[in-house]
Amino acid sequence: MKIIFSRIVSTLLLLLASSLAVFAAIRFSGGDVTAARMPASASAADRELFRKQIGLDQPILKQYITYMGNFVTGDLGNSLTSNARISSLAVEKIRNSLILGGSSLLIVFLVGVPLGMIAALRRNTWVDTGITSFSVAGMAVPNFWLALIAIHLFASTLHWLPSGGQGGFKSVILPALVLSAEGIALTVRITRSAMLENIGQDFVRTLRASGFSERRIYFKHVLRSSLLPIISLAGLRVGQVVGYALVVETIFGWPGVGQILVNAVLRRDYPVIQFFSLLLVVVVTLGNLLASIGYTLANPRLRK
Amino acid sequence: MNLLRRARKNKQLVSGSILATVIVLLGVVGPWLLGDYTDQDLLLGHLPPMTSGYLLGSDALGRDIAARVVVGIRISLIVAISVTVIAVVVGTAIGLVAGYIKGAVDSMISLVVDFIWGFPLILVAVLAAASIGSGLLPVILAVGLVNTVAIARVVRGEVLGLSEKEFVVAARAGGYSTMRILTRHLLPNIMPVVLVLSSYYVAVGIIAEASLSFVGLGAQPPLPSLGQMVSEGRNYMRLNHWESTVPGIVIFVMVLSVSLIGDGLRDLLDPRLRTAVERASSK
Repeated sequence: MKIIFSRIVSTLLLLLASSLAVFAAIRFSGGDVTAARMPASASAADRELFRKQIGLDQPILKQYITYMGNFVTGDLGNSLTSNARISSLAVEKIRNSLILGGSSLLIVFLVGVPLGMIAALRRNTWVDTGITSFSVAGMAVPNFWLALIAIHLFASTLHWLPSGGQGGFKSVILPALVLSAEGIALTVRITRSAMLENIGQDFVRTLRASGFSERRIYFKHVLRSSLLPIISLAGLRVGQVVGYALVVETIFGWPGVGQILVNAVLRRDYPVIQFFSLLLVVVVTLGNLLASIGYTLANPRLRK
Repeated sequence: MNLLRRARKNKQLVSGSILATVIVLLGVVGPWLLGDYTDQDLLLGHLPPMTSGYLLGSDALGRDIAARVVVGIRISLIVAISVTVIAVVVGTAIGLVAGYIKGAVDSMISLVVDFIWGFPLILVAVLAAASIGSGLLPVILAVGLVNTVAIARVVRGEVLGLSEKEFVVAARAGGYSTMRILTRHLLPNIMPVVLVLSSYYVAVGIIAEASLSFVGLGAQPPLPSLGQMVSEGRNYMRLNHWESTVPGIVIFVMVLSVSLIGDGLRDLLDPRLRTAVERASSK
């Protein structure tokens, strides 16, 4: 428990440092904040006034403290381009991204773990070769390209599924599958090698000698010991899913955090960039934390 | 020599190396053979492959896709390989020092490393693009930073394990300098891991450059990055899907070749690395 507690404390400190880093990265950037809001013909004096209005004339540290103060009270500022309140944007975008990311993580483990187990149990047969080659290919295929092919095939040509936007259950299928492709491939590999590693262990031999059925040995004991690397992978996957969700959301027009962040960068909408990138860092850091807690709980040697 | 013989028998390593050689040749010699990639002819746009002298067809502006693809390969290779070389050298050095010297130095390094590790690669690139503007530079900085940290983490872990082994303790008792122990005793032992990891990070570099150029934050026109070519072609999928499929397949083959080399190297050098490498390469 002590390990877990110290992990939580250090995570909180890391988050504080991350917020400062994101804040500084954006404040020190060369871009002109006023460009997002004002026409090219605006005078220098007007631009100066606008900077003053949003508090950019203050020292950086003071700006940071003001920002964090407002942040804690729930005031996240407004978008420079649409003037919408970021707090109300956030609720909708986070919900959409959670739907997409959650379904993708679910697909990854529901498909990846069983496929990896099958490959391990049927090792060195054509089934194993097929699954393994498929997973090598799955890791190499760029997901934005996969997305285009999927749209071309299932939306434009076959008209089975919508190509994007947000129209209920059907429109999440394609983006979630595309986002899962690489994760499935990676999970298959990890599951397969973890299972193979464990099948050769002494405890399996002992269980066999004690007369347990093969099925029970594989599904109960081998799978359980193979869960460690799979769990720690799950947490690390969060970072990857978050990263590539930026790309996948943009392609499918899925109105989530990734899409709004990419658009904000292209339009230099700084308050929006600041909040949503910080949000992603929090999610990834928490993912890492959960992975390490899960790892500790699942590994009796670390539990004290 | 035994290693060389085993390498020749390793199917993944052989097929990956053949693919990689073809790709590198295309990237080095191709731009020089296939003529000007900026040549436009609006009357000859959207041509499918093998028509009117266009080997792989033409894009919306009537530019030769083949000529653009080989330049794209060159850009991709330059970005991915140069970044990986820097990341491997710096990351290994940082990991060696942190893992061997331990104490306050290690705590400081680990703090920074854990801090950067909390940022997903694509987000670092997006932030870099937000602060210095879109282009290849933020991509290079982001991939370099994140991969350096990733390599430093793995190397540190390996060195921590090795530094209590008899041969290191003996070297220390023998009065060898820290520098000598690091370079002559520890470095050769972690080289297999680093070599295998670096092939995966070349793959990460290729994918990251392509993805960022695809969303418009990476290479800017008229520079023909592969990701950006896929993006430009996406509006004409029904008209001539080759404009997107050709660069997409090229990215796929490039990543596939380095992944195969990585898998092959891993099996060749140390099969025990399997899980460790897979966990590390999941960033």
